[in-house]
Amino acid sequence: MSAVSTRPAARVGIGGPVGSGKTALVERLIPALMRRGVDLAVITNDLVTAEDAERVRRSGLIDPARVAAVEAGACPHTVIREDPTLNIEAAAALERQFPGVELILLESGGDNLASTFSRDLTDFWMFVIDVAGGDDIPRKRGPGVIRSDLLVVNKVDLAPYVGVDLPRMLAEARAVRGGRPVLTTNCRTGEGVDAIVQQLEREVLFRQ
Amino acid sequence: MLRLHGIVGRADDAELHQRLHALEHAGALERVTMEEADLGRRRIRLTSDKGTDCAISVDRAEDLSEGAVLLLEPGRAIVLRVGVAKAWRLRARDAGAALQLGWHAGNLHWRVRFDGDMLLVLLDGPLAEYRARLAALLDAGLVEDGGDG
Ligand SMILES: Nc1nc2c(ncn2[C@@H]2O[C@H](COP(=O)(O)OP(=O)(O)OP(=O)(O)O)[C@@H](O)[C@H]2O)c(=O)[nH]1
Ligand SMILES: [Mg+2]
Repeated sequence: MSAVSTRPAARVGIGGPVGSGKTALVERLIPALMRRGVDLAVITNDLVTAEDAERVRRSGLIDPARVAAVEAGACPHTVIREDPTLNIEAAAALERQFPGVELILLESGGDNLASTFSRDLTDFWMFVIDVAGGDDIPRKRGPGVIRSDLLVVNKVDLAPYVGVDLPRMLAEARAVRGGRPVLTTNCRTGEGVDAIVQQLEREVLFRQ
Repeated sequence: MLRLHGIVGRADDAELHQRLHALEHAGALERVTMEEADLGRRRIRLTSDKGTDCAISVDRAEDLSEGAVLLLEPGRAIVLRVGVAKAWRLRARDAGAALQLGWHAGNLHWRVRFDGDMLLVLLDGPLAEYRARLAALLDAGLVEDGGDG
């Protein structure tokens, strides 16, 4: 790969409600991307701790130095939309420290259905919801569900236990998204993660 | 996939303008259109009006904006167009109404521009959904609805 094709590093946002599986998805994406030789770094956002960063560092999946933490101190959306300076600085610092980095994943703190990423911060962002949150979530038309570049519906394994009609949930999600993609995952098993990697390879890594 | 990195010029640059004009006559000018909502991205995949699959990037210090020339060769050029956002035009009846309107627009995280005494709300979705949020102010006549035309 020539330098020109990897610069600037793609910045990919991962947002979504509390507990939908954002960190679990990061933990699945790291090995899947590394297997394909993608030079990677991660930024996590938490309220007043570095909890998710510590979890990813301890995971053994990635050099802990490649995991940076941003503490929002306030509502998580403030640092990914209103003033993303802290995250932009964290990404720039990772790029300086690891000049070959091709992709930086930025996990937002768990927020609500209205949270969105500023384009100043990310080239592409996904919104992670989960079936246990209820199959009416897409119908509620939150900006995250509608405007994200990719909607991920996680925890598909739980659908039978929480009485969720998954095909209907997906149809309604597609209906409100005007043709933009919707993918499903089970981050407990890794099912569906490859399709997300392919999406990233096409849309921002330009590998296919 | 055609890999394009960096901006080689501006379409409104006088000298470049002529070259692009000549290329257009020869049918060798291609345009890629980026939606206004994508402004700010430094990496994006777009298909040109002639069907070329373009993988576009610029350095963080550069901006993808209207008229950026992405490719300039003797027999071919590619120019970026940026779609224009629809804007909903609003005027508040008095200072009190303007305070309320400003509070709502901020609270709703709307993207806004200012044009004299008008507030312009950039629309990322159907106008009806925006109107519904200000129904109380509009119905009370505190804010004049200038439409998105
Ligand atoms: N059954 C099931 N559980 C999952 C799946 N993905 C994540 N979980 C579980 O859901 C819980 C929350 O996952 P996290 O990855 O911490 O969620 P998060 O979105 O990062 O949470 P915050 O950062 O706190 O907002 C954990 O107990 C995960 O093990 C899945 O696909 N299926
Ligand atoms: Mg998390």
